[in-house]
Amino acid sequence: MNLPPFRKSYGGRVVLDFPGGELPGDGVCAVIGTNGSGKSTLARLAAGVLEPDRGCPGWPGRPRVGYLPQHSYPFQMSVRANVLLNAAGRGRKEARERADALLDRLGILALADKPAHHLSGGETARMALARLLMRDYGLLVLDEPTAAMDIRSTALAEELVGGYQARTGCAVLWITHSLKQARRTARAVFFLQEGQLAEQGPAETLLTAPRTEALRRFLDFYAL
Amino acid sequence: MVTALEQAVALVLSGDGLLLNIISVTLRMSIPSSVISLLLGVPLGTLLAFCAFRGRGALVVVNRTLMGLPPVVCGLLCYMLFSGVGPFRHFRLMYTIPLMIIAQVILITPIVIGSMESFAQRIAPAVRETARGLGLSRRRAFLLLVNESRYQIFSAYLLAFSRAIAEVGAVSMVGGAIAYKTNVMTTAIMNYTNMGNFTLGVALGLILLAMSLVLNLAVSLLQGRLSR
Ligand SMILES: Nc1ncnc2c1ncn2[C@@H]1O[C@H](COP(=O)(O)OP(=O)(O)OP(=O)(O)O)[C@@H](O)[C@H]1O
Ligand SMILES: [Mg+2]
Repeated sequence: MNLPPFRKSYGGRVVLDFPGGELPGDGVCAVIGTNGSGKSTLARLAAGVLEPDRGCPGWPGRPRVGYLPQHSYPFQMSVRANVLLNAAGRGRKEARERADALLDRLGILALADKPAHHLSGGETARMALARLLMRDYGLLVLDEPTAAMDIRSTALAEELVGGYQARTGCAVLWITHSLKQARRTARAVFFLQEGQLAEQGPAETLLTAPRTEALRRFLDFYAL
Repeated sequence: MVTALEQAVALVLSGDGLLLNIISVTLRMSIPSSVISLLLGVPLGTLLAFCAFRGRGALVVVNRTLMGLPPVVCGLLCYMLFSGVGPFRHFRLMYTIPLMIIAQVILITPIVIGSMESFAQRIAPAVRETARGLGLSRRRAFLLLVNESRYQIFSAYLLAFSRAIAEVGAVSMVGGAIAYKTNVMTTAIMNYTNMGNFTLGVALGLILLAMSLVLNLAVSLLQGRLSR
């Protein structure tokens, strides 16, 4: 699947100038880069929730997109009701079974009847992921889905998204600050720097043999 | 002062006919006007927060201006529209409760809109982004925002009702404060004070305060129970 070029500026300052890029059809594409490098902006544009400099939100030929914002909103209802918001035409019983299965796989089934706005940060993040994965999308855009999660929950989330991807064959754009996570999950990597796509390529080569000075310095920080 | 208070309490306890009528007129005016304002203001205010269009900021400013509309100006407007020379004179609403309600709705709806908008506007971007990220329709996203703002509706109603029972300028202009017809508690307090009859004024003042207290208590109890 091909992402088209995106350009976004705020008050004359260009925060993203993305030339377009290919997402592997059989795996995850990780997006890495420093704070403010434009990762969330790329996610919003790819998800079609942000208006680019020219044209309307969205892009031609895009599949049904499921987007997990960096700060997904817990609605003031139970955790299960939150997840069931995304039941999309399923029968009641089937939707509930699927919701509970997803909550179980993320280890928060015991919290299903709790009000969602009383959850901790990592619990909220797990609920938000379960809510998103209720439906089958052609493209998943995940903006730091595990940033608030502990190691165990992160592993559960990676496993769940991996299984979802294998089952649906969707493309996944996964933003992360964890190089280890990128190594574990991604086939391809986009490296953003100051709104530019500074480097892109297969995960093995890009993360071990950077071609640009910028990426080399970025990777060096993680080695410290 | 103390004797006025004693007499006032005695008057309330005696169930004086004039007093009861004034209270009844007040409620027949305040409840419909606050409820209508709420029914108009909640969807409008939430919609104003929900929609991210270019003129939004301008509309918010217009609404804030209307929130500060002096009641006598609203009274004047209704007077000009509905009195003997106005375009709506054949409705024959001058000096009736329905016209007082119309004037109140004009005054109070912007306050409800403002109260809902300023609350919902803080969570609207996150609600919209989350709902659109899931692929929910705009209508569902809006209904979710209303649902998230549900406790604010209580506060908005409190504001609306308190404003409705406390207002004098507009209702005295279009209602005329006619005894046993359009005289409400505030206009009655003014009239009786001008006549030197403090007892009735103090009695009415006490009842107004008590009504406000009871309503506020009820709402905060309800809010506390529901949001738990
Ligand atoms: N609504 C906005 N108005 C003005 N500037 C914005 C807006 N949204 C983002 N920016 C700017 O755009 C740049 C890129 O932001 P973005 O959220 O895409 O960064 P990011 O790579 O996701 O960072 P992080 O790792 O902190 O999440 C930042 O410098 C930010 O200040
Ligand atoms: Mg970000």
